[in-house]
Amino acid sequence: MTDTSRQIPGAGMLKGLWVTLSTMFKTIFLPQKHLRTVNYPKVKETPVPRARGVIALDQEACTVCMLCARQCPDWCIYIEGHKEEQPPDKPGGRIKVRAELDRFDIDYALCMYCGICVEVCPFDALFWSPEYEYSEQHMGDMLHDKERLQDWLKTVPDAPALEK
Amino acid sequence: MAIDQDTLRHMSEASVSVELETQDMTLNIGPQHPSTHGVLRLVATVDGERVFGVRPVIGYMHRGYEKLSEVRTYPQITALINRIDWVSGYANEVPFIVAAERLMELEVPERAQFIRLILTEMARISSHMVFMASYPLELGAATPLFFALRERERLLDLLEGVTGGRFHPNFNRIGGVKPNAGAGPTQKKTPQDLPAGFFEETREAMERIRHAADQLEDLIAGNEIIRARTKGIGVIPPEVAVAYGLSGPNLRASGVGFDLRKTENYLPYHLFDFDIPTGENGDCYDRWWVRLQEIRQSCRIIEQAIDGVPEGPLQAKVPKVIKVPAGEVYVRAENPKGEMGYYLVSDGGQGPYRLKIRSASFSNISVLPWALENVLVPDIIAIMGSLDFVLGDVDR
Repeated sequence: MTDTSRQIPGAGMLKGLWVTLSTMFKTIFLPQKHLRTVNYPKVKETPVPRARGVIALDQEACTVCMLCARQCPDWCIYIEGHKEEQPPDKPGGRIKVRAELDRFDIDYALCMYCGICVEVCPFDALFWSPEYEYSEQHMGDMLHDKERLQDWLKTVPDAPALEK
Repeated sequence: MAIDQDTLRHMSEASVSVELETQDMTLNIGPQHPSTHGVLRLVATVDGERVFGVRPVIGYMHRGYEKLSEVRTYPQITALINRIDWVSGYANEVPFIVAAERLMELEVPERAQFIRLILTEMARISSHMVFMASYPLELGAATPLFFALRERERLLDLLEGVTGGRFHPNFNRIGGVKPNAGAGPTQKKTPQDLPAGFFEETREAMERIRHAADQLEDLIAGNEIIRARTKGIGVIPPEVAVAYGLSGPNLRASGVGFDLRKTENYLPYHLFDFDIPTGENGDCYDRWWVRLQEIRQSCRIIEQAIDGVPEGPLQAKVPKVIKVPAGEVYVRAENPKGEMGYYLVSDGGQGPYRLKIRSASFSNISVLPWALENVLVPDIIAIMGSLDFVLGDVDR
């Protein structure tokens, strides 16, 4: 165990002060290299592409299968849908039934950002977006509907390149 | 504070006139945030500055994870157990996943094991950096906080780049690490392997961590005030440490060189060369010193691991709906705070029948009533802070 500062009283304190002093001058004279923080509202850091910021929804891809709502550990996804009959492609053909999405709400006040819904979605309708600026004044306003979730789809980045 | 207890008792009695009968006072400290990250209540019996005994009252953060796990599926539990010890979320996942894999008799691909190991060590460094930041702060030194948290933030950026989460990575899956799902329309088809440039950035980060460790040593190790507050304070002899079930850096600071990374095989630690730092006296200073050395050892492990990450798949073949065969297993792992163990009992369903969580901090604070006997009031904070517990880990 190092016991260096026993000889001269105050030596340990001076050593510590030298660290703070040198760091101060480094950040003043070489801010690009040594300054680690950004001036947030004016300067923004780019989040990493995989960052779990917000869940975006592709309404076209959703088939109202409810897998995400059932797998969600805290049940913060609310889905409602109805069946819609579509005319057959050619006369005399089978009537097609298509599920239409009426409501797709995610309560971000409850969401714990685990990403299970994104993972279980079999039709690639849910995506993670690194968008993070969606705080609200009231907790109830954190419930976002499908239009808002659709808007976030634009912010979904491409996958990052992989190591080797 | 270097004055021993008997002298002090003598002094305080001498200053009070003889006919004044002093009376012990029961002092309630908490339940709000005395020195730790969470809510702990201490009922202390004090006479002036002297503390005769302390009774910790825990349970304010009980979230019932053990019971909750019985009604959740395995992927859902992985997300939950991140939150047990939130300072090192990643390290919590690994033993649970390994327990499930042992019951399923799965062979995990080597690359996945290496990624787990690298990220676990990163979690260890970031957890110890929080200690390096908070412990001097509790003793009244604010500067080391900025040095430690600055480097920790870089590490968390790296963790986020791989897993997508800073605190709650939720990256492990039974059979490997997170497959195929994540951000981006193209990413759903590609596996979540390490992003490009990860090795280089990690190497740089390790350089910086070493530098920060040197800076922290210069700032704290020689500082006369810190030494006076921590040297010889809160001495836990090895017999007591073992008797109370201490583990991790707290045990090693008492001189017991016990590290599950060397004795268990939950991750391929045997491939790497690293030392187990142990303290000599088991006092607060040693507990700080051991954690500083562990940061350096973790840097060594990570540097060796990123040189040797093998090629290969990230995920073993697992069914889509995961059912773990009936049976029981106990897997323990060296967490930043100590031994983290999961006793998993499965009845063949989609979730465990019973999950017993052995968390390190719970055992570590059980020594508090012993360690806080006959100390001074300011030493409560010094001793409690040096045990480095997280209340989420205590109460689960």
